[in-house]
Amino acid sequence: MQMSSHAALPADAATGVPKVRFDRITKCFGKGAEAVQALEPVTLDIAEGAFTCLLGPSGCGKSTLLNILAGFERPTAGEVFMDGQPVQGPDPRRGVVFQQGALFTWMNVRDNVAFGPLATGKSQAEAGRIADRFLEMVGLAGFARRYPYELSGGMQQRVGIARALANDPEILLMDEPFAALDAQTRELLQEEIKRIWHETRKTVLWITHSIDEALFLATDIAVMSARPGRIKATFRPEFARSSDPSVVTSPEFARMKAQIFGLLREEALAAQRQEAA
Amino acid sequence: MSGASTSASHGAGRSRWINLASFAALLAVWFLITAPLVDGKPLVAPLFLPSPGAVWQTVLQLMANGYQGKTLGHHIAISLFRFGVAFALTVLIAVPLGLWMGMNETVKAVLDPPIEITRPMPKLALLPLLIIWFGIGEVSKIVIIILALFPILSISAMQAVRGVGRRKVQAALALGASRSMVFRRVIFPASLPGIFTSIRVSIGIGVTMLVGAEMIATNAGIAYMAMSASDFLLTSVVIVGSLIMAILGYALDLLARALENKVVHWGGKEG
Repeated sequence: MQMSSHAALPADAATGVPKVRFDRITKCFGKGAEAVQALEPVTLDIAEGAFTCLLGPSGCGKSTLLNILAGFERPTAGEVFMDGQPVQGPDPRRGVVFQQGALFTWMNVRDNVAFGPLATGKSQAEAGRIADRFLEMVGLAGFARRYPYELSGGMQQRVGIARALANDPEILLMDEPFAALDAQTRELLQEEIKRIWHETRKTVLWITHSIDEALFLATDIAVMSARPGRIKATFRPEFARSSDPSVVTSPEFARMKAQIFGLLREEALAAQRQEAA
Repeated sequence: MSGASTSASHGAGRSRWINLASFAALLAVWFLITAPLVDGKPLVAPLFLPSPGAVWQTVLQLMANGYQGKTLGHHIAISLFRFGVAFALTVLIAVPLGLWMGMNETVKAVLDPPIEITRPMPKLALLPLLIIWFGIGEVSKIVIIILALFPILSISAMQAVRGVGRRKVQAALALGASRSMVFRRVIFPASLPGIFTSIRVSIGIGVTMLVGAEMIATNAGIAYMAMSASDFLLTSVVIVGSLIMAILGYALDLLARALENKVVHWGGKEG
């Protein structure tokens, strides 16, 4: 466990090429005098199999970074690479889970999860089998015929996760997936996502406000500054390796939490001053 | 949960009773003011408002003998035909066009001016011109209804497309969907609730236009029947015609609502 002030996280040891590289990404919204700089040059590497959390105050550009990697937005300058190839647009190799409101309300749960396999050329029968497998994985096997609006918020997020996993993506991009859930549901889902990560060994980029969530889940944490966002510090906690939920009560957990809390507090105050100005 | 739901359904049942009582009260008022209670004379003369019994007699008589040589069924059928053809044509043309406008800025830029300029114009004012163009046959009546419904259906289909959640589209793209798949399986179904709302609105407006069109230059149809009966002061036939129109509009709305509940079962619900 160490804290480093430089931005880049270590590259994949085997190939030397990181799974994902954000290379001097900047992003401006609007034009002329109205323009808002959302991101200062951000450089960040994500290693294969890492669980990377972006932590930062509201409006710091964490979601913008995720949207750029997903291919939904273009950076104003800089480039993001996956396996050394520049990202050109959305790609089923990168699965995305949103906070809420992204399920297909008119399809039942099974059809939602089968959407990706169908879109990527699987047959109807095969897509259905894949959907069943991932619904099983997220504990929703009995809800295949239900519609999203018949499910609780936590179950809807499980559907979103199963839907993203069904395409067998190389990396999962998760934009505050549990932010709208109550505390108990959120904790259970955190344990579940940790189990799924252990099972599937996917690379994950996870955006959150919650220090506890980041420490519990992440192998790499990048703390971002207030707008314009940049990587302020990176951490490599070990708690994600453990499947014991009680790691959160250990003294090391508390120490790292205090350290990140101090950093984030400065940035949250800075963000508040920006909003007031 | 059970407490809340029983009190809610209790409330709905209570409203139902109040609805019925209100309806019965209206009917009672009608009976009272048309019944020969004082000096054998009703409060309102039959010429202005016939009694419910007289209206019912007229219904039976119209069903038996028809009106002006045509059966009641014929008058209803011709009205339904005009409305049905116009409505079906408009939905088939305006909705796809509106969807296209929502998807494509260029198409929107081309079609926006003609639709927006003609939208506030009362379409019935065009009927004299349409009669010159298409004659007094069925075409001018169908065209006037199409003109009235077209802007409503096309603009709301466009707005429905524009209102589709960006995240749903992004989710579909990230799952590998092609542009055509995004349209067919995400944008189109997500637009259906908005389209159905405008369909229900346009049923009411379409029936209104039908009535307007049938009052001019025609010799069949329910509104024609009411209009011409008014010339002969056959008040109970006028009332029967109005009631049939009301029932027709209500039945069409019920039909659309049933279809809506079946097709867009998710309605405005989010998930």
